[in-house]
Amino acid sequence: MNPDLLSPAGRHLLDRRRFLNGSATALGSIALTQMLGADGLLAANGPVIDPARPYAPRQPHFPAKAKNVVVIFCAGAVSQLETWDYKPELIKWDNKPLPGGPAVTFQGPAGNLARPQYDFRPRGQTGKWVSDMIPHLAELTDDIAFVHSLTSKSNTHGPAENFLSTGFTLDGFPSLGAWTTYALGSENQDLPSYVAIPDPRGVPQNGANNWGPGFLPAAFQGTTMSSKSPVRHLSAPGVSAQADQAARSLLQRMNARHLEGHPGDQKLAARIASYELAARMQLSVPEITDLGTEPAHILKMYGADDTQNADKAAFARNCILARRLIERGVRFVQLFNGAYASGGKLNWDGHSDLKAQYDVHAGILDQPAAALIRDLKQRGLLQDTLVVWCTEFGRMPFFQKGAKGRDHNPDGFTCWMTGAGVKPGVSHGECDELGQKAVKDVHPLYHFNATILHLLGLDHERLSFEHNGIRRRLTNVEGRVIPEILA
Amino acid sequence: MRSVFLLISASALAAPVDFVREVRPILERHCQECHGGKKQKSGLRLDIKSEALRGGDNHGPDILPGRAKDSPFIHFLTTDDEDELMPPKGRLPQAEIDTLIRWVNEGAAWPDGVDKAKVEDRRDHWSFKPVQVSGFKFQVSSSAQSAVSGKLEPSPIDRFIDAKLSEKGLHRSPPADPAAWLRRVTFDLTGLPPTPEETDDFLKRQDHAAVVERLLASPRYGERWAQHWLDVVRYADTHGFEVNTERPNAWPYRDYVIRAFNNDTPYDRFIREQIAGDALGEDAATGFLVTASVLLPGQIGKDEPSKRLARQDSIDEIVVNIGQTFLGLSIGCARCHDHKFDPISAKDYYSMQAFVAGVEYGERDLRTPEALAARERLKQVKAELAGLDLRLSRFVPIARSGVKRPMVDARENRDRFLPVKAKRLRFTVRDTNNLEPCIDELEVFTTAGENIALNAAVTVSGEKVTADRHEQRFVNDGSYGNSRSWMSNEVGKGWVMVEFAQEQEIDRVVWGRDRQGKFKDRLATSYVIEVADASGAWKSVADSEDRQRFDTRERTQPAFSIEGLRKEEAAEAQRLLKQKRPLDEELQKLDVSQKVFAGTFRIPDDIHLLNRGDPEQPKEPVVPAVLSALGDLKLTKETPEQQRRIALADWIASPRNPLTARVMVNRIWQGHFGTGLVETPSDFGRMGMKPTHPELLDWLAAEFIRSGWSVKHMHRLIVLSATYRQSGFSFGRNDAAKAAATLDAESRYLWHFPSRRLDAEIIRDSMLAVSGRLDLKMYGRGFNLFDKRGGLTGFEPVEMLTPENTRRMIYAHKVRREPEAVFGAFDCPDAGQSTAVRRSSTTPIQALNLFNSRFTLDTAAAFAARVKKEAGEEASKQVARAFRLALGRHPTAAELGDAEPTVRQHGLAVLCRALFNSNEFLFVP
Repeated sequence: MNPDLLSPAGRHLLDRRRFLNGSATALGSIALTQMLGADGLLAANGPVIDPARPYAPRQPHFPAKAKNVVVIFCAGAVSQLETWDYKPELIKWDNKPLPGGPAVTFQGPAGNLARPQYDFRPRGQTGKWVSDMIPHLAELTDDIAFVHSLTSKSNTHGPAENFLSTGFTLDGFPSLGAWTTYALGSENQDLPSYVAIPDPRGVPQNGANNWGPGFLPAAFQGTTMSSKSPVRHLSAPGVSAQADQAARSLLQRMNARHLEGHPGDQKLAARIASYELAARMQLSVPEITDLGTEPAHILKMYGADDTQNADKAAFARNCILARRLIERGVRFVQLFNGAYASGGKLNWDGHSDLKAQYDVHAGILDQPAAALIRDLKQRGLLQDTLVVWCTEFGRMPFFQKGAKGRDHNPDGFTCWMTGAGVKPGVSHGECDELGQKAVKDVHPLYHFNATILHLLGLDHERLSFEHNGIRRRLTNVEGRVIPEILA
Repeated sequence: MRSVFLLISASALAAPVDFVREVRPILERHCQECHGGKKQKSGLRLDIKSEALRGGDNHGPDILPGRAKDSPFIHFLTTDDEDELMPPKGRLPQAEIDTLIRWVNEGAAWPDGVDKAKVEDRRDHWSFKPVQVSGFKFQVSSSAQSAVSGKLEPSPIDRFIDAKLSEKGLHRSPPADPAAWLRRVTFDLTGLPPTPEETDDFLKRQDHAAVVERLLASPRYGERWAQHWLDVVRYADTHGFEVNTERPNAWPYRDYVIRAFNNDTPYDRFIREQIAGDALGEDAATGFLVTASVLLPGQIGKDEPSKRLARQDSIDEIVVNIGQTFLGLSIGCARCHDHKFDPISAKDYYSMQAFVAGVEYGERDLRTPEALAARERLKQVKAELAGLDLRLSRFVPIARSGVKRPMVDARENRDRFLPVKAKRLRFTVRDTNNLEPCIDELEVFTTAGENIALNAAVTVSGEKVTADRHEQRFVNDGSYGNSRSWMSNEVGKGWVMVEFAQEQEIDRVVWGRDRQGKFKDRLATSYVIEVADASGAWKSVADSEDRQRFDTRERTQPAFSIEGLRKEEAAEAQRLLKQKRPLDEELQKLDVSQKVFAGTFRIPDDIHLLNRGDPEQPKEPVVPAVLSALGDLKLTKETPEQQRRIALADWIASPRNPLTARVMVNRIWQGHFGTGLVETPSDFGRMGMKPTHPELLDWLAAEFIRSGWSVKHMHRLIVLSATYRQSGFSFGRNDAAKAAATLDAESRYLWHFPSRRLDAEIIRDSMLAVSGRLDLKMYGRGFNLFDKRGGLTGFEPVEMLTPENTRRMIYAHKVRREPEAVFGAFDCPDAGQSTAVRRSSTTPIQALNLFNSRFTLDTAAAFAARVKKEAGEEASKQVARAFRLALGRHPTAAELGDAEPTVRQHGLAVLCRALFNSNEFLFVP
């Protein structure tokens, strides 16, 4: 335990304990073996976690390209055909049946093929064709590495969002952010190490499972926070400052006395330390969620000043919050765009009238998300920060029968990343010319997740946790890094 | 493969390839890193003859003697496809490839006895062998306490523990002080702290055995130990996955588990009831089979592969649950490939599936005497209501009779018309007050008063599905309310058509938006009812034209209007309405009390071995059979569904099964010491930890069986042992303790009692108990932790104390994956996957929750009020009483001196809040 990180009272306790034990080394060895939680952490490949400082920064397996991650998670399944994966053949085939295509897909009978619902044009130095639906993000393509050939194991939102976030379609497995903070801790001890920022319109389809700890210790679950609703229980409602302070100091003295009777007990010391961390969080969290110090030009850049579009302004404020968290060394920020199942009204699930619905969603996503990446870049943060844009699966090249929207397609879709360690301006992997199935350099999402861990200096095969007899990993027994998108 | 053919002829000239000298070195150098003793990628192993010739998971056999051209082994060495090429690092030198091709073509001669490695017998594993009871035998009385001395004699458990301690050069710690033991055993057996009176009584009488009997007889015991079980089987009151809908009748299974522990149901029977309770008069017990998350019908894709995958997932969860819960084995890995470490093949796995291939997730009627009575009553109530309805319906003005009818009502509407013959009836919505129309039930009555729409064939214009809520089938399923309704997929319009088995004379249609009266949107404000007779000719019989114009400002309109009725008619109608009201209320209550979400059973699916777990790649069919390494029970394909499960249950619950008793006694041990003798309670396989005390584990297992599988007997043995009674860790005690701490920091050998933080539920329950607010009402529908009981998003916690939520936390309605706002952070399982061991992490979020939450402040205030009531106004007496209630002891002089001024200055609640957050309160001593 680093005494500098404790308050004077904490240091006093520690000194007293050293004095009582007479041996700091013995204590150190206990700290190493008395792990947070009984199971798993002694596994040869697991990180060693000091129970008093679960968020202490830890070394990766090998030198990392990226220190922090922002994941922009677009819930509801964004159509690759209206965004990043230009399929001009579809224009030719517009409103014609797909020969040999499936009669029935997820939601019902298939209709005719449908052209991309937006115009595309070449962008930047690379000349990458991107849709007019997302003009701001489109400007960033020179910095982005696209993977156009991803596949999912499920065509159903819930299991597929689980698969994207945890590597398993079932409920109850640790999320990418939980794995990351379990492995690496955080650079900032006054803020949660892993923050999940739900869309202002609601949480995504599988809710908390997207930021859950699964069977990892609860310390590594994502803490939800947004510019609208900060962390719960930051202060005691209706208690005067004096009474609050009196309770705190009485508790401190009670615990100190109790520890004297149980010298050297790390679990007790860890709890004492946790109250000190909590006290610091009480100050640092309101500070970080207060965007009042952001200058007008920044608010404007993100679109947070948009009085015409309240959802966009709220999402923009979440984007600014994400930047502020990264700036302060929070390890993992998951920024959701799109809420729960709502017939495509509140997320990207464009079944019935895709164009009309995407006009709304793109208007919320585009400018704020692009501004976040630009802002990270202009502040030099993108050198250490990986930005990932992802969605749980793609959509079919044909419309659903009797509708103007596309059904679920887990067999070929696009996600991308940019920032630290990412090769700029590449498009890797291909779907067939109608965009239905990945055919070249096919990558199950395992590969995408393995690559994220790789950029964080983590070997997806070594980062593991023993649970009920199985050495569990984010990538199950699959996965490999995608070298083509690495710088 | 271009060069292969040339080489075949060339090879004939050379001497035959020698395996040891020429082939093996190539395999060792290039292949065995991934296909050898350490790793067997794709299940292929190339260092042992038998394994190599058998081949890997995907292409085996890989080596086809005499046929290099067809051998996958050679294909992967020579392919031009870079993704397939082996080794992945780069193609072998051509000379080496040539050697291997020649070797295969010459018949792949692999001499016997030259291999450097041997196939491990994976069945040679301690937990797969019979329980051994060797060495000393003990006489164990129900109490190990000597009546004369009042001292506890060393129990058999202590002798095993002491033997291991002395082997390690360690010593048992001195006994804990009696109050600490009492607190420990009370928490362990009931999940609540002892009261000051219980402490006084024990300190006076020092009768350990009496305390243990009192605790085991307390209903609180079942409430505590059921929690362990519910963790393991991942019990929840919602369905999980994206929609996470309420599973409203899951709780009878939770209650079953509590009762089973309280009754000390023999564990072998407990197993049988959970797997085949339908054959044993315990329907609720089969809730065990369907505790997992499941996709509901509307959430599964309409394409066939989606349906097959969903079904496989749901059966998989059952097999996994049985394997890890009862056998402590992770069978699930074998769904995609033979188990890497344990002797469980994919075939074993699918054979296990065949035992439960007729189990569906669904609700079934509870057949307890109460439930049977309730069902009888339900029939009566329904009949009485139908009679009243029929009589009431006389008082509704007939459509198109010239009388203005009342405006449409979201709750219920009746359209009467002159008797007409009908084969089909169509209800067409032409406008709504807003959004897509929604109808919870459409009823069509014959002149004899029978609802012939019930479960008739139904067609709709379209539908907007929310699984388990809005589905076409709900429009005539006999269930009322928004959660069982049809919703159109078009704003303001849509139609429902029912077709009757035969033409009948009808005179009445009754329909509503939400008979439960919660929803008033999506109401059909303009509609027409048409009828077709057997000839197919349609005619309109009623519509909304003669109703009063719909107007939302008119809020007070009763469901039944007496307007336009004669005075005597109105009086009669009101009398009937009055009779109806209590029956309606009773109907609501009866409906819930009689269902359980449990296994429902049908003719089993044919189960096939699936290549890599893919339902689209079925291989040979399998029959029900137990894991081949553990037994040879095998049933025929014709075995009826229930017989399959009974056979499986009997095999698991047999004293001869080497795993069953060991796994359970280990769970019980873990419940008392925090860690099991086997540290991995749901993995007794080869990847699991070995027992620290194998002889003790076997002795306990044998004793468990001998006692008639009595769980309470095992508790007695453990908590009355000297091992359990010793004091907790005190690092500063002496040099010996320091040395011991270096050797065995976690006290796996039990040289001191390993104290641990209380589980989330114990903290919450104890805060309520100490503050005097704990409601001990048992069983039944769970109380709300959130503002809703299931659904997509935005669970707002109920933070205030309500009359409902002061019950024990095991009675909370458990929303899967949604952590409880205060205690979720204390490692409360989310019921996604099985939790066999509660972790105990320490985080600042926990501190914020426990220090600042409304719950803490309210219970602290209640605690303060109680203390004032019991101790009076004097601060020192208040402090003393608060300490006794929260910590089970008197404050020291120093503590009193410290707390008293704070209480005087800031009030007693400040002390109570601090006590609830103190380490002493939060740890098992």
